[in-house]
Amino acid sequence: MNCTRRNFLIGGSTTLFLSGYFPKISFASMQKKNLIIISLRGGMDGLTAVPVIGDKRLKKLRKKLILEDVLNLNSDFGLHPKLEIFHKLWQKNQAAFVHATNIPYTGRSHFDGQNLMETGAHIPYKEKTGWLGRGLLASNIIGKGLAISLPMPLLLRGVPQNNNFFPSPDFVETKLIDQIYNEFKGEHNELIKSTLDTIRKRPLSMQIATDSDDRKKLALEAAKQLKDQSGPRVAVFDLDGFDTHAAQGGVDGAHADELEEVNKIVTILHENLGQAFDNTLILTLTEFGRTIKQNGGYGTEHGYGSAILMAGGLLKKSQVYTDWPGLKKKELFEGRDLNSTIDSRAVYNSAMSICFNQDPEFLRKEVFWGDELPDLSQELFKI
Amino acid sequence: MSLNFYRRVAFGLSPNETPDKDPLNWAINQLDTIPDLLWPGTIPTEKDLRKKYGEWVYGDREVLRKKFKNDKHAYRKAKDELRIKTGERYFELNEHAIRHFQTKYSKQPVFERFWLFWGNHFAISEKDFLAEFSTGPYQREIIRPNMVKTFEEMVQSVTTSWCMIHHLDNSESFGPNSKKGMEWGETINENHARELLELHTVSPNAGYTQEDVIQLAYIMTGWAHKWDRKNLETGDIWFDQEMHQKGDKVVLGVKYKNDAKRELAKVIHDLATHPICIKFVSTKLCRHFITDEPTDEMINPVIEAWNKSDGNLIEIHKAVITQAYKYNEITHKFHPPEIWLMQLSRMFDLNIPLSFQKMKYTFKLKPNNRQRQLSWILREIGHSPYRAKQPNGWSDLEVDWVSPELLLRRFWFASVELPMLVKSGNRSHGFILSCLKNNFEDHENMASLIDNFRFGTSDYDLGQKYGVICNLPGVLKI
Repeated sequence: MNCTRRNFLIGGSTTLFLSGYFPKISFASMQKKNLIIISLRGGMDGLTAVPVIGDKRLKKLRKKLILEDVLNLNSDFGLHPKLEIFHKLWQKNQAAFVHATNIPYTGRSHFDGQNLMETGAHIPYKEKTGWLGRGLLASNIIGKGLAISLPMPLLLRGVPQNNNFFPSPDFVETKLIDQIYNEFKGEHNELIKSTLDTIRKRPLSMQIATDSDDRKKLALEAAKQLKDQSGPRVAVFDLDGFDTHAAQGGVDGAHADELEEVNKIVTILHENLGQAFDNTLILTLTEFGRTIKQNGGYGTEHGYGSAILMAGGLLKKSQVYTDWPGLKKKELFEGRDLNSTIDSRAVYNSAMSICFNQDPEFLRKEVFWGDELPDLSQELFKI
Repeated sequence: MSLNFYRRVAFGLSPNETPDKDPLNWAINQLDTIPDLLWPGTIPTEKDLRKKYGEWVYGDREVLRKKFKNDKHAYRKAKDELRIKTGERYFELNEHAIRHFQTKYSKQPVFERFWLFWGNHFAISEKDFLAEFSTGPYQREIIRPNMVKTFEEMVQSVTTSWCMIHHLDNSESFGPNSKKGMEWGETINENHARELLELHTVSPNAGYTQEDVIQLAYIMTGWAHKWDRKNLETGDIWFDQEMHQKGDKVVLGVKYKNDAKRELAKVIHDLATHPICIKFVSTKLCRHFITDEPTDEMINPVIEAWNKSDGNLIEIHKAVITQAYKYNEITHKFHPPEIWLMQLSRMFDLNIPLSFQKMKYTFKLKPNNRQRQLSWILREIGHSPYRAKQPNGWSDLEVDWVSPELLLRRFWFASVELPMLVKSGNRSHGFILSCLKNNFEDHENMASLIDNFRFGTSDYDLGQKYGVICNLPGVLKI
């Protein structure tokens, strides 16, 4: 078929002004809901992850980056063969995609873009807290953030007492902490002391040294923690390497290697969350997509519109949710990039409202300064 | 005066140093001159390293990407070889060695603390290959020589340095009415202008608007690298009149007449002497040396010294140290991982950095594990100095450095890695006790906490002792 704009838009923004939010106290909302964000740094190419097979222009522009064995989603979109777990979950209504979406940033700088994808703001480096941290704080969910990284990511900043997991290369004897714990006296030592408390209360599994370069082990531990009813409600993973200016390739290229990492993490989370997967949302986050046209090095340059990969039992159904802008030259952003027709922050705001049991309108004001972000909860998630 | 003053303003006392009778004078006398870099190994120039940067990006971008466009494995292999040949994996290690050798052995350690401060105030964050080739020499050649001049001169040098211009994209900023801007349909990139206001000089407290940022960006257009096919973006900085926005500009209510390259010096003069800039930077200095939330009483004498000396950094530094001395007994300050490591290295005479002979590099093999050790440790404790994530540099606030994993990393370093860095002659219990006595008032209490291991000199025993000592509240902070 010939993909033209708005072919796929179902429901969508028309419900925006009609649907009020009715907070419900149901059994479902008593269950702990998990929100997991996987940051894909470097610019994830939405058209490699979820290629638009219904548009011949893509093949023409990317002769050397063509994917074979694309997994079928529907007549218009396929899925990169390395994203197997998403395909499997798609059959069970537990995977979905938002396409032609991005944060409202068109500058093509990784650093500004990554800053903005985490702060959710418009001006790089202006905000010092992350949208997820602000969302947790506004929802009064304290001490429930888990970062799978060494420093606390900007995304989670803004709410206190987050935990993180990124073990040192060797085992650390916590008995050392016991030996000096009582030396931390007085108000000025309170912060360190309470952090030592967090460390001492950590389950044994979090104390074991592991190779922090092994994302499998990290994901396994995160799943274990998230499964626990009294454990964290939010987890943040960090992946980089999506900046494939060269040898991006198709099925086995450099971009495919990175997608395989995403697939690995989601597979481990799915396998190990068990029942808790039903009450989980996994969403990816990136700073921008990539140019449609391949460059001289058979890679792609920094672009604009990308896609959000989603998995979890809190999804409404399997779907590619998009307001498709088209791939004709005049439909592209600045004549070169897939356009973004959905502010990705609307997806994140809606996801937070579902997982934190909050009014999306309230979160939009508290977290995103009242920016105009339609509530997509009804379209994307189980309410 | 407590011995902790030597850690507040420097790195503590090494085993062969003794406390001075007049610690304030000891500190203040270190600020008039620029101490030589002591590293006996190679200290390449910024220009040489920029050339290497050029070889690396040219080789990768213009040669390898094209040659191996169909073969990612061959591409990766060829790229790794190019890394070795251009020193892409080496020069940052060498820079860390130069830096840590300096903080360990300098006769003017107080000066070195200010060096670290200014390098972080005018931070170069992790971008492209700056950490690999350029941030280290920028610290040595741009920051350091300006530390005995005025703040304004420092800002001038930084703003027109290749490193900062590349870091903040000023070479991609075109005046829309300039010759090239019109021909190519290009416009400004506001990045550098915004950070010059926000981070380097007046801070958002000055209440500048988006229009001020745009106008400053206009003034800055034309300050760019020279570009050619071979050196790409690594050419020298010059003023390209054909990129420069024509016409008068207005920043913070001051009009700057159309005056080509001279506009920048004028606006920097006004920004660097702006009262809000003086207050902002004085506050940051006090925050670094006194406490996370310095009061007006702490800051005001620094502002006075600034005004009296027309922004002379020597006088400003002396005022900061005087204040740090005055408040030494009643304020606390948490030290970020790198300063903590530098202090441990100086106080306990640890075996870092590696000797210059062993740091030698042949450009034929990957740097070995020993050569990578210091940089690896810095990364593992979470503070690789030339890889701040954002242009605002590393935080100076305790709250940003206290996460469970970041604290655990310190326990890890002190109990697992540090014992391997203890020199063979320093493994006795007596050595530790003498270092503690040299640096801490409550050394007796500290000694009692490790008394169980007084007979042990194995790596394990040393790990138990240093694991405790290095993470005591009085060592993590002062």
